[in-house]
Amino acid sequence: MRKSHPIRRVVLATAATVSGVVLLLSLKPASDPGAAAAGVVPQQTVGAQESPQGGAAATGTGTVDGNPAQTEYGIVQVRLTVSNGKITKAEAIQAPKGGTSDQKTALAVPKLNQEAVAAQSADIDSVSSATYTSGGYKQSLQSAIDKMKAAGKAQGGGTGSSSGTGSGSTQAKTVTGAVAQTMYGPVQVRITVSNGKITKAEAVQAPKGGTSDQKTALAIPKLNQEAVAKGTADIDSVSGASYTSGGYKQSLQSALDQAGG
Amino acid sequence: MTTTLAGGRAARRQTMRRIRPRRSPATVLLLAVFAGAVGVLWLWWHNTPSIADNNSKILNAGRITGLLAGYLMALVVLQMARVPALERRVGSDRVARWHAMSGRYTVCLVLAHVFLTMWGYALQAGRSLGDIVQQTIDSVNQLPDMGKAAIGTGLLFFIGLISVGGIRKLIPYDTWYHVHLLTYAAVFLTFWHQISTGNDFAVEPTAKTFWYVLYGAVTALVLWYRILSPIRLNFRHRMRVEAVIEETPGIVSVLISGRKLHRMGAQAGQFFRWRFLAPGMRFSSHPYSLSAAPRPDMLRITVKAIGDHSTRLRELTPGTKVWAEGPYGALTAQRRSRGKVLLVAGGVGITPMRALFETLPGASGDITLLYRANTTQDLALWDELAAIANDRGARLMYAVNSPDGERPDISAERLRQKLPDIDDHDVFMCGPPGFAQSVYEALRGAGVPARRIHHESFEM
Repeated sequence: MRKSHPIRRVVLATAATVSGVVLLLSLKPASDPGAAAAGVVPQQTVGAQESPQGGAAATGTGTVDGNPAQTEYGIVQVRLTVSNGKITKAEAIQAPKGGTSDQKTALAVPKLNQEAVAAQSADIDSVSSATYTSGGYKQSLQSAIDKMKAAGKAQGGGTGSSSGTGSGSTQAKTVTGAVAQTMYGPVQVRITVSNGKITKAEAVQAPKGGTSDQKTALAIPKLNQEAVAKGTADIDSVSGASYTSGGYKQSLQSALDQAGG
Repeated sequence: MTTTLAGGRAARRQTMRRIRPRRSPATVLLLAVFAGAVGVLWLWWHNTPSIADNNSKILNAGRITGLLAGYLMALVVLQMARVPALERRVGSDRVARWHAMSGRYTVCLVLAHVFLTMWGYALQAGRSLGDIVQQTIDSVNQLPDMGKAAIGTGLLFFIGLISVGGIRKLIPYDTWYHVHLLTYAAVFLTFWHQISTGNDFAVEPTAKTFWYVLYGAVTALVLWYRILSPIRLNFRHRMRVEAVIEETPGIVSVLISGRKLHRMGAQAGQFFRWRFLAPGMRFSSHPYSLSAAPRPDMLRITVKAIGDHSTRLRELTPGTKVWAEGPYGALTAQRRSRGKVLLVAGGVGITPMRALFETLPGASGDITLLYRANTTQDLALWDELAAIANDRGARLMYAVNSPDGERPDISAERLRQKLPDIDDHDVFMCGPPGFAQSVYEALRGAGVPARRIHHESFEM
């Protein structure tokens, strides 16, 4: 009998639900406190990026990383091992993790790797029940192949006098920058310097855990590329990953200082 | 066999019972429901370490609304499982209102969940909000069990739509009811995507187990109380129409015979959902209150011919098989907490009041019945009531319109004048919504506390 007005009830229920959800969302931190507090982040090498000289994937054996591809379940990134212009090995350095994604990744990625090597192109069949991962894989694979081809052309054009990346080269010097602490974890940059030029930049440490994984995967390759392109630590930050970018620049500067001195 | 069922031994035995009020478990149940919702939110909280950007915020809002919708969906179905604790202790009317309210809320949550999740996915895939339709199509095609979920959600929205007040009035009750039963299919279809794509169930096996137990338990209760129990009841009691009696113009009583009817445990004030297996009536089941205390061999309902179904009752032939589900309803002697009782009946609302008038425990002078009708001719069952009043030493009053059509005065002052100790009464009330509302206000004005006004209302 004691009836509240139906409209009042609707307004109350809506307000309570919306404010409850907004409250819950706003109470969550922007980054995983567990991962940030962990301190020691295991070494993570994010991608040997293509250098302008195409050192990675030219004649000898080298690796090329595709761009990370965003899927609904997480990021997929493919690394190809290329030998004489042919894909000899394909692997996923990033794949969806957690929950059922673990199973799917375990199921799909080996198949996709195999297919990539067999097909020598990104025109491979998706693994059913892992369509998103397959889609991301193909996307990243395509970009790796594009890079591989671009590098091959550069090599063929005769401009490639570089000795390539890696510690195998006598002329190339590898310098690791100091660890830069950021809010989300430490960042540490390693650069390969050849004839006074940065031929390769990579992050040996980067924030991990929670959404940091995604951000790292998105930002680090770009930062690596920029570092190689500019040759200085004066590079643009990646939006959406400003902390990581800041730490990266800091560590890169220290590496450059060491290389110069 | 007499047409009046008064003076049965069973009824007399009931009048001797002690007054033992039983509290409605509603508060405890509502608290349990809220605790469950908090648990569901905790599950999300526990599995979400951080939210980095706006995109994740949208996706997580989608997850929260989805989890809550999944949880409430099970409860919405549970409310209609005809669980005796709900039907007889909380009251069928109250549970039906809960069902309607939480059903609407759940449909809104589902709507929010679909929109937020697809929006979040679209942003994650580098699309804009405008691509939400394309994103939905892609997700339905590519994610596990989403095809089923899409069909189920479509059904749910359709059912929600036809239940909206204005639209529902356009549809015959039976059609609406049978379409409404599709909710079971919708819930079944949407269940699987919760398990296979739900982050929290993938990460937490315990949560998955809990979800299976929740939905499994609800399924078991529905099967037991909506299907198996009625089958058992009807095979045991084998009810048939014994006679149809015209009480006043437009009001008929149906006498129903059967075996060991007292074993059904029906109390005065309760109702059954009746289905008469006669041509044209087979597919509709309607709730009618018992209008007399149940006897081992006989039940009686009294019905006013207002709808299709109730008009056809008049044409029932003796021997027609009857399929009944029940007893339901909480407007029984258990609600009472005081020695004195006022029963208020409006029109055909006399039926449960008549049964209570006969059976409520009480000494001479404890029980009063106020019967409101348009004219004295409309006072159905009057002779019986007079006989009971005489037998029990109970008071019987009626209020009818004056010859010039003026409504009788049922106000706080008038009630107090007739029953000076009215504030020490329990009041049981049954009648049309407008009547019930005005009497309720008069009673409150006369000092009867709300918790002692017992009323069933089947309007939503």
